[in-house]
Amino acid sequence: MRQKLIQTLGLGFTALYALAIVWLYATEPRSFKEAATGAQVAAGTYQVDQKKFDAALDLFRREQFRAARDEWKSADPAQSDPTTQFYIAYSFYREGWGRVYYDQDLFKQGLEAVNRAIALAPEPLNVSDQNLQLHTAAELKAELEQGTERNWGDVNPLKVMRQRK
Amino acid sequence: MSEELEKTSDDLVVASPREIELVDNRSRNQALVSYWALPSIFLTVALLGGLRVGADDHAFIFFPPPLITLVLAVLLMLLFVRGGLIELRSWIAASHPPLENISHVWILLTLFFASAQAFNSVLPERGLLHWLFSFFFLWTLWNNQFSSFDARRLLRSLVALFGTAFVLKHLLLASLYASGGGWLQRLTGTLVQGISLGTLDAPMFAPATGYISFFTLGLYIAGLMLVANSKQ
Repeated sequence: MRQKLIQTLGLGFTALYALAIVWLYATEPRSFKEAATGAQVAAGTYQVDQKKFDAALDLFRREQFRAARDEWKSADPAQSDPTTQFYIAYSFYREGWGRVYYDQDLFKQGLEAVNRAIALAPEPLNVSDQNLQLHTAAELKAELEQGTERNWGDVNPLKVMRQRK
Repeated sequence: MSEELEKTSDDLVVASPREIELVDNRSRNQALVSYWALPSIFLTVALLGGLRVGADDHAFIFFPPPLITLVLAVLLMLLFVRGGLIELRSWIAASHPPLENISHVWILLTLFFASAQAFNSVLPERGLLHWLFSFFFLWTLWNNQFSSFDARRLLRSLVALFGTAFVLKHLLLASLYASGGGWLQRLTGTLVQGISLGTLDAPMFAPATGYISFFTLGLYIAGLMLVANSKQ
């Protein structure tokens, strides 16, 4: 009976260990810290650092977009929070927006972030922030996509009249 | 019939409590080795065999086993069976309880992946050297298929095989491509690169990679020795 118990427990434990190894090779964490964050995400206990998130929001409102992004990145190291990814995308949009031209590099990075936010959100993402004019991830994505497309409208001189959202 | 029974009952000896305890401990320890230690050791080898540490940022890099290592592992498993390290018929049989058969299949599976990752640990990651080393392993294992082996000789041969590959990869090649070496070392590295038209290019890793590989191979051999001992 005791031998059967040892056998069953051994099988269970080593099967779990094998799953953990497969998970490590699939997610390829670059450090112990990343592995721990990944494990939190997998276990569903992952949470963004609210203090850092608020500090980033404050920087964003003061138009310190790069600093804000750095803070958001450290608040959400696993890039698993849709709201944080939405704000990161928004900061790329605002920094890349220009009256005469859009910074293509920043807009592309913004698109990547908003796509992450859309993929992570279980339902259509809606951020109720009064300081923003685009509240949904879909609107922000459309705006960023328009910015990366080239068409004859780009040479329209009236373009300088448009407003940043 | 009754005479036979009487004779048999005369031959029977009642075991002392101490002897019963010894037998009990032995079977419990054997179960712990077979169902806990062996799969855990082989899984740890499977985990560490593909782990490298980046030279610049000391970040973990996970190299899944290349296809050639799986082929090499199959050949090695065949060698284990031929050499008598694994006795398939006594490990898996219709007369065994299902849980015992499952446990033995599980050990074989973990041993297979540990073997693949042990090869992965001593194979250069890319370039001509990767294929040279693979060919060297393939040739050795293929030749061994036709030699007569027992478990002890097979283990000694494996120690020599992995030891040679470890020295070549983690000592000779690593020092040839090390960035912090002297001018003679760098000159030799550049010459080798030039003569081979860059086909001997190998990625740079932190020294910790060599230590991890050493530990992995040590653990793998220890696991194989445990298999040989548990068989006895």
